[in-house]
Amino acid sequence: MPQSLQNPIVLWLVLSAALVGLVYAFLRRELRVKAACYGAFLIACGVAVWPPYQTATQPGRIRLGLDLRGGIHFVLRVVTEDALTATVDDAVQTAREQIGGKGITFGGAQRTSSSGFVVTGVEPARVKDVRDLLKDFFRAGWDVRDKGDGFEVAMTDPYVREIKQRTVKEAIRTLERRVNELGVAEPVIAEHGQAGDQILVQLPGMTDVEQAKRMIKRTAQLTLKLVEDVGGTEEGLLQARSGKLPDNMEIVQGPGDQPGQPLYYLVRREAVITGRDLKHARAGVDPQTNAPDVQFTLNPIGAEKFKRETGRNVGRRLAIILDGRVETAPTINSQIGADGVIQGRFTAQEADELAKVLRAGALPASLDFLQELSVGASLGKDSIRSGVAATIAGMAFLGIFMILYYRLSGVNAIVALAANLVILLGAMAYAGATLTLPGIAGIILTVGVGVDTNVLVFERIREELRNGKTVKAAIQNGFERVWITILDTHATALIAAAFLFQFGTGPIKGFAVTLVMGLIANIFASYFVSKFLFEWVLSGRQTTAQSTLSI
Amino acid sequence: MEIQFLKNPRFDFLGKAKYFVGLSLVLILAGVAHMTTRGVRYGVEFSGGTQLIARFQNAPEVDKIRGAVEAVSPGAVIQSYDAPAKNQVLIRLSATGDKELSDVARDVLKGLGSSYAANPVVESSTEIVGPVVGAELRQKAVNLTLFGLLFQLVYIAWRFNGAVWGAAATVAVLHDVLVSLGLLAFFGYEITLNVIAALLTLVGYSVNDTIVIFDRVRENLRQRRKEPLATIINDSVNQTLSRTLISNGTTFLTVLGLFVFGGEVLRGFSFTMVVGIVVGTYSTIYIASPLVVWWESRRRGAGAGSATARAAL
Repeated sequence: MPQSLQNPIVLWLVLSAALVGLVYAFLRRELRVKAACYGAFLIACGVAVWPPYQTATQPGRIRLGLDLRGGIHFVLRVVTEDALTATVDDAVQTAREQIGGKGITFGGAQRTSSSGFVVTGVEPARVKDVRDLLKDFFRAGWDVRDKGDGFEVAMTDPYVREIKQRTVKEAIRTLERRVNELGVAEPVIAEHGQAGDQILVQLPGMTDVEQAKRMIKRTAQLTLKLVEDVGGTEEGLLQARSGKLPDNMEIVQGPGDQPGQPLYYLVRREAVITGRDLKHARAGVDPQTNAPDVQFTLNPIGAEKFKRETGRNVGRRLAIILDGRVETAPTINSQIGADGVIQGRFTAQEADELAKVLRAGALPASLDFLQELSVGASLGKDSIRSGVAATIAGMAFLGIFMILYYRLSGVNAIVALAANLVILLGAMAYAGATLTLPGIAGIILTVGVGVDTNVLVFERIREELRNGKTVKAAIQNGFERVWITILDTHATALIAAAFLFQFGTGPIKGFAVTLVMGLIANIFASYFVSKFLFEWVLSGRQTTAQSTLSI
Repeated sequence: MEIQFLKNPRFDFLGKAKYFVGLSLVLILAGVAHMTTRGVRYGVEFSGGTQLIARFQNAPEVDKIRGAVEAVSPGAVIQSYDAPAKNQVLIRLSATGDKELSDVARDVLKGLGSSYAANPVVESSTEIVGPVVGAELRQKAVNLTLFGLLFQLVYIAWRFNGAVWGAAATVAVLHDVLVSLGLLAFFGYEITLNVIAALLTLVGYSVNDTIVIFDRVRENLRQRRKEPLATIINDSVNQTLSRTLISNGTTFLTVLGLFVFGGEVLRGFSFTMVVGIVVGTYSTIYIASPLVVWWESRRRGAGAGSATARAAL
């Protein structure tokens, strides 16, 4: 095929022009406009759908659902409380620093729920100062209330909702980047369900469920924090500080030299750099030990910060913390610029996956798996084979029956049916709809409804002929009388299909989509195209009262 | 020479309606009794849990597989799946303790790999549904079916200018759904999402059939105002009978093809359709039509003036 004809619009114009030429050469004047319009429309559908399905060299125009091509489907719940808790923790930190910074003594500040915290034991003389301070700092989105010798600070409901929404959106963006790293074609990552905290992830063609889950579930919060002290137990670390954890520090667990004997790291709460400062991360190999590691490069701002902090703290240890666990805590030997390395006890695959999730960024909250569906690729192929076999068998049977029973008019019905299928597939290709196994069932059903329309009309025409009408009048009456019935039957079927669409789950939605498109295509094909074919047959001959119709 | 199955049929459908209404009641009651005593089997998407379909390299021995699976997850349901030549086995795991559902599935596959190593799993599909999602979906399915029915009732009542027609069609459809559910339960099919889709399609299909006849009744009523409604409805059923037989017969045979050739995944769906088309055709003639006649005569008997159904048109 010449290059220019590969363009569907050019192809459509060329074919339509040829059709219009034929129409003007062979058809009577009163049929020409109808024939040209119907034909051009059908050609448009045919062009839209070609090639219909995926081959080795060319992607098909109709997307196949997970159940047909194999792949993985997850429904995840974003644990939005995580994000709330993190926000409140930040707020508690701010409150402590601000109140302490003004030289006010107070008992403490603690988070009390996922959306609020309390400040207790404020010295009576300065209660007003603290109130002003808190109100100033927690203006938008927070409520500050007096409570005994302290204050209760809580997020407002709209702010809680806003954080939850933002968390889900951010999670979706992160997942999109991670799935990109996986190299999956045509993934679906979207909000799901009414509660607003669920995400649907579909990975067509992917079969390794475990890898997919590791890549998706990992929060991948990376922080680098300065180490103050290391010990074998948490108590030991606390005792060295008179039993109380300093406000600006925290204890993080990490692997020890012997398996089963963890070490505890007392680290600064404030991170030197976080995952947000990363520009790039890739899996590599330590040249000395040959152990797999993950090398990273910082963005300019992160690099500047890193350079300053490492220069100031030569000789101290820096803990590399991933998802709340110390991976390694190397000693800073000299000032470091933009590049760093994470040496854990990774396998090559683990290092590779870690590099990928670090590149894609951290999730704002952890995820729960609510639903999981995986279909093996060849199991999917089996399904499509039996589905197509059933469709072809059904259509062949219908075709033979229609010709035996209605003779030449049966051919009319078959042409209408073919037009119906071309429109349906063209519409699906154009709308980017997904074909699922129930979708194939929907096509079969469309074929059934299409035949029903033809049968309704044909039976009516036969009846009119028996009542002594001429062929022309019988056809006219047949189509006219049946129109209302067809309208009503299609409307009720569309109502049922609309409710199926509400299910929102992949396969059933596919069924509803093919059914809706099929019903609409059917009205055009089995009614108007079929009617046109009759008119065409009649126009070719002199009709008299005695002429007959092959029906 | 044309082929015609029926030449001017004149069957007395309505005269025998009461026997068929009786039959329907018996079928529905039996179905409900079966469902309440034996329970309804829900598919994994509704009940929650884990379903594995594993394809083995060679013909699987279910006993050995059961041994391997029991060791990891007791109480699993194991059965062969689809055509025997495909070497496929379906394993249904119940939620056990606090272990995450997907972990159980992975452990089972691992267990199969180690204790049934002679015949490795070549490929597998899993479906894991948390209990919350399952319950949500079940509720949604019921709601959508009921709302779908309600909207169709309203549409028909509007198109035919009378609640009688909508109500009669809806009762007929409810009848179809109940009878189909009973038969599904009796033959041991699971209620899956696909089956729900089939039931909703069947709702549309049955209403479709009812409308074809009602439309004919409406047309005849305009021309033959003096005749009793029962006669007109009976005539209308006869006039549309050949269309009913051909359309529903051909659709029946197509879904039968789907049932036979469509593979295991679509079996529940196609079974529901096969049953539904028969029941849907039957209910139009023997449930919906008599209902309209009965309602009409009751109105008239009560002296409520002119018949609503007729007056409406």
